[in-house]
Amino acid sequence: MNVELVLFGAFALLTLLSAGLVILARSPINSAMALVSTFFFLAGIYVLLWAHTVAVVQVLVYAGAIMVLFLFVIMLLNLGESAHRGKPTLSRILGGASAVGLLGVLGITLSRVPAQPANLGPQAQATFGTMASIGQSIFTQWLLPFEAVSLLLLVAMVGAVVVAKSRI
Amino acid sequence: MTLPNITLADFLPLLPALIMVVGASILLLSEVFLSSSASRGYQAVLTVATAVASGLTALGLMFEPPHAVFLGYGVLDPFSSFLTLVVCVGLALAALASVSFLRKRGAERGEFYALMLFASAGMSLLAMSAEFITLFVNLEVLSVATYALTAYLRRGTRPSEAGFKYFILGAFSSAVLLYGTALLYGATGTTKLADMAGPLSQALATAPALVYTGAILVAAGFAFKVAAVPFHMWTPDVYEGAPTPVTALMSAGVKAAAFAAMVRVFLTVGKGMDPHMPLALFSTLALLTMVVGNLLAIPQRNVKRMLAYSSIAHAGYLLLGVAALFVTAPGEHFRILGASALTGGTPLDVARSDALRGILYYLLAYTFSAVGAFALVSALERREDEDKGTAWDLERFSGLAQRRPGWAFAMTAFMLSLGGIPPTIGFMSKLLIFQSAIDVGLVGLTIVAVLSSAAGVYYYLRVVVYMFMRPVPEGAQTLERSWGTEVALVISTVAVVLLGIIPGRVSEWLAHAGTLFGQ
Repeated sequence: MNVELVLFGAFALLTLLSAGLVILARSPINSAMALVSTFFFLAGIYVLLWAHTVAVVQVLVYAGAIMVLFLFVIMLLNLGESAHRGKPTLSRILGGASAVGLLGVLGITLSRVPAQPANLGPQAQATFGTMASIGQSIFTQWLLPFEAVSLLLLVAMVGAVVVAKSRI
Repeated sequence: MTLPNITLADFLPLLPALIMVVGASILLLSEVFLSSSASRGYQAVLTVATAVASGLTALGLMFEPPHAVFLGYGVLDPFSSFLTLVVCVGLALAALASVSFLRKRGAERGEFYALMLFASAGMSLLAMSAEFITLFVNLEVLSVATYALTAYLRRGTRPSEAGFKYFILGAFSSAVLLYGTALLYGATGTTKLADMAGPLSQALATAPALVYTGAILVAAGFAFKVAAVPFHMWTPDVYEGAPTPVTALMSAGVKAAAFAAMVRVFLTVGKGMDPHMPLALFSTLALLTMVVGNLLAIPQRNVKRMLAYSSIAHAGYLLLGVAALFVTAPGEHFRILGASALTGGTPLDVARSDALRGILYYLLAYTFSAVGAFALVSALERREDEDKGTAWDLERFSGLAQRRPGWAFAMTAFMLSLGGIPPTIGFMSKLLIFQSAIDVGLVGLTIVAVLSSAAGVYYYLRVVVYMFMRPVPEGAQTLERSWGTEVALVISTVAVVLLGIIPGRVSEWLAHAGTLFGQ
């Protein structure tokens, strides 16, 4: 039993545990904080997969920026603990049914996956997923869409300011 | 480490869009130094100047040989350059119409024109995208800019409703398009349009459901953007609620760019598909859109809403041209004579090139006529009547011929052109589209198109009847003149009438523009 496997087991368990807390916690703040820790442990699994960039982006963007927004909204709306528990409303029944259905579909798909991974195209190179290779492909191959995204962000920012300001 | 070779020449096709982005940045930055009461007359002038510069650049690029740039992520071909030209025409006219519209509402700001320029840059970039992710990002650039423009004036319920509706449904349609793209990527393993055809024909044998679902979802995403039936539900509300110059830009530019992208995607990717599939898809869309668009426009008394439904109907005629691109066995009575015979190539190539030209000319014709009509609507409407819903009523046009004969003449020209009556540009463009459809044997569909456009003449001419045969209503508002609107009206009227009689240089450019890279 090597270290990698132990680490994977620990991260996987902790991810499942905190993901469970997200849906079981009664106060939205606790739920959000559990989501943060889920993201952190997921980032650990990414590191084990040698996807360092994805791990860093996961922590920076999800655990950092997006969760702060979540917390802001929770505080602004001043959400308290959920009051009604256990009442079977239509949306709850539908939600539960679709969750069970999804679980079934996932189970069936998982049982059909061959034990040996299929050879899906060319083998990934050793540098795949590192910062250097991602930077290289962004600034050569994907240059045009990358620049277009910068334009998109500028437009979105100007648009958001125009729509949000009340002068006009 | 071997790096791919990207040179300065790769940036050449971006030049029209770059000029617009620079113009928009100047507008945004100069706005910072202005007090809220400062004169902002320069903004529309700067926007028009940018549009003209960008349009002239696109015109110059039209004569470059078609080639791929950025390793095949974009292309430079006469088709995309002509489309940029159409977008610039629409942008310049819409910006001219915005001057008095914004001034009357005390809403003149650099951001408005900057967003218009950003949207147009997105349209230009969309026309030259040859890869799905590039295409999606550029589509979002133009969509996000138009969402913000739609919600620019938020006083009253209509603009908020329009902005919100457009945003939610637009985001939904983008997601549908992206999902279709993901499925096609799953089937082929590439997002480059040019590389897709080969793997796609293999995937069609192993997983046909995946390919067809992907293609249909991509088509549905585009159909939403061009407002084709049954994806048209948002159009009347959004067109009515948006500021009128924005409606003009949306009806002309967004539609043109989305059509260009749709044509490029399906012509390039469609090589790997059974050609009957896109033909069936676009014929059905064309049939539904022409008939439903015209039928829904007939009862409208609200001119702005009528123009919205008419824009749906025009999308139908354009879809007829798109369907003509996918016929593989042209009709027997194939046209030999005509300018297209000189270009050489197989009958199919000639027919395809004819249909492409028809689509481009139709887009140009629709831009002049519709933007002109919206400019006149914006000159007649008043802010106070918007909430009552009478701002765009047909009564507004009563007796216009006695009060402003010039305006009435311009509106008559636009209505005749939209209805497809000679001697206007609208007639010529309809003729080109219908002709190319007949040439490839889509006779039944063309008969439906002619009949439904004859039905459309009814609601276009009703506006003319109100202008010339109804008395001026009592207590009618005074009609203010403004240089911007007048210039826009003069340019579009001259273009609508003159290009219908002597197409001149434009037909030369057009003869050149029916070339799509890789075709």
